[in-house]
Amino acid sequence: MSNRTTFSTALTYAAGLLFLAIFIGPILWFLALAIRPAETAFTMPPQFTFEPTFDAFRHILVDPGTNAPQLVNSLIVAIGAVLLNLPFSVPAAYALSRFKMRGKKNIMLWYLGLLMAPPIAFLIPYFVLITRIGLQGSYFSMVLVLQTLTIPFSVWLMKSFIDEVPAELEEAARVDGARWYMIMWRITLPIVRPGIIVTSMFAFVFAWNNAAFPLVLSSRSTATLPIGTLGYFATSGVTWNYIAAAAVLAMIPPMIIFLVFDRYVVRGLTFGSVKG
Amino acid sequence: MHSTIIRSPRALAPVRRGFVRRNLPYLLIAPSVIMLLALIAYPLLFALKSSFYFWNLQVGPEPMAFVGLDNYVQAINAFDFRAALTNTLILSVLGTAIEFGLGLAIALVLLKTLPGMNVVRALLILPTTIAPIVVGFLFRYLYDPGGGLLTWVLQSLWLPVPAEGILGSPSTALAAILFVDIWQWTPFFAIVLYASLLAVPDEIIEAARLDRASAWTILMRIKLPLIRRTAIIIVMLRFMQIFNTFDTVLVLTRGGPGTTTRTLGYSLYEQGLVNFNVGLVSAMTWITVLIVNVIVALYVFFAFRNEEW
Repeated sequence: MSNRTTFSTALTYAAGLLFLAIFIGPILWFLALAIRPAETAFTMPPQFTFEPTFDAFRHILVDPGTNAPQLVNSLIVAIGAVLLNLPFSVPAAYALSRFKMRGKKNIMLWYLGLLMAPPIAFLIPYFVLITRIGLQGSYFSMVLVLQTLTIPFSVWLMKSFIDEVPAELEEAARVDGARWYMIMWRITLPIVRPGIIVTSMFAFVFAWNNAAFPLVLSSRSTATLPIGTLGYFATSGVTWNYIAAAAVLAMIPPMIIFLVFDRYVVRGLTFGSVKG
Repeated sequence: MHSTIIRSPRALAPVRRGFVRRNLPYLLIAPSVIMLLALIAYPLLFALKSSFYFWNLQVGPEPMAFVGLDNYVQAINAFDFRAALTNTLILSVLGTAIEFGLGLAIALVLLKTLPGMNVVRALLILPTTIAPIVVGFLFRYLYDPGGGLLTWVLQSLWLPVPAEGILGSPSTALAAILFVDIWQWTPFFAIVLYASLLAVPDEIIEAARLDRASAWTILMRIKLPLIRRTAIIIVMLRFMQIFNTFDTVLVLTRGGPGTTTRTLGYSLYEQGLVNFNVGLVSAMTWITVLIVNVIVALYVFFAFRNEEW
């Protein structure tokens, strides 16, 4: 190996380590906050070693007197958002992928444009509407309004998966006299099952991480994890270990999903515009 | 109809000629479109109507008086609103540009195939997976003037740290928020650009090398043009996301000190959900929606002009 390649290899590894220190270091430091004794959270210089304690997690998860089951609420809202989303977005994605139609580009851009709508601008109208029809604090209200984010996103991502199913398979079924809905239900959808799973996982992460809608639509008993962190922030005296514990619980599922679906992450993040 | 010609996926034309058959694609799209229209048309029309009324939920549950364009005049004339617009534009333009540049640089490093680098790549995406509100807390902890890790690092490097803390000083607060956004989203650009650069065929690059093109020329003339469409979409989405941010600001600074970190998103939050001034916030909503639409329309017009679908 020439000196030059050795040098460039070393430089690449150094850069890689630097990236990890900058982008992963803060996360690890924050994880530590959740299990460190409260009195060591703010010491100068920072204390890098400590006796771990799981009191904060116990408080977040178990103490039923003061805390809504935020973890459960987050799960209900995110899973609900995925389940409501699929029957709307899968047929639309199928149509955009399989049929010629006028104005397809405009329809695709319209979905994309919705992702750019400022959610904050919708909060007050949603708040007033949901209060008027008496659904305030319900899981359903959150699941419903989350569709403004999850449907456009899922349509784009699902389309990219359906695009890859060979048309010959559908042609063969059609020659055998199958109707379009049988073809979609029995042939195309089973083949794109991995795509449906990946799309669901991304919709789950979007709903799971969303703080804007639960901020106005949840009640004390239906608050999700991000809202929980705000709660520990707003009460007198910031309880950092509780914030960190709730935040860590909120961080872990999306991280696991992104690491497990590593292969599809890029496609999801770009709404399918890069085939990952 | 018994043709055995292999058709492309997009060309599966309807076979029967009934109403359902003829309009099948539109019927399949309709539920999602109707659902989305219902979800966005209501807020927009609601805001349009309310914007002409004096309506404060703290004063009364119903609109109190028709005030014409007063709310719009008030919104635009308020010093806060202009400060918010300026801050929002600074954050979204600088944020998107820096994240793209740094992301591209990291992507080019990741492209060097060395054992272990794929672990770096996989882990790098983690900041992007965290909810913005949680990232806000993470950095509030790091920035803390009395024991935050980042404050300590800066002090250890003999760099000046404002006495009020990084978030408490008017001269550093906006930069601190920009830094948080860059931390969370540079990995997103890095991973996406890395993946799209992987798809650039080696032969083209080899050919350019034989022609003695420099690495810079290859990047600017070959690689970037080939990943153009992906770049267009992620830049647009990211720009809009920063433009609409409010949760990070809420947790980090609440728009302060003074108006130095006030953004449009945060102003909407404050007028709507703290002051419950529905009339004013509706006018601000419409102004924001119009600004956003003009920017996006111009961008889409120029960026997608030559794209095939």
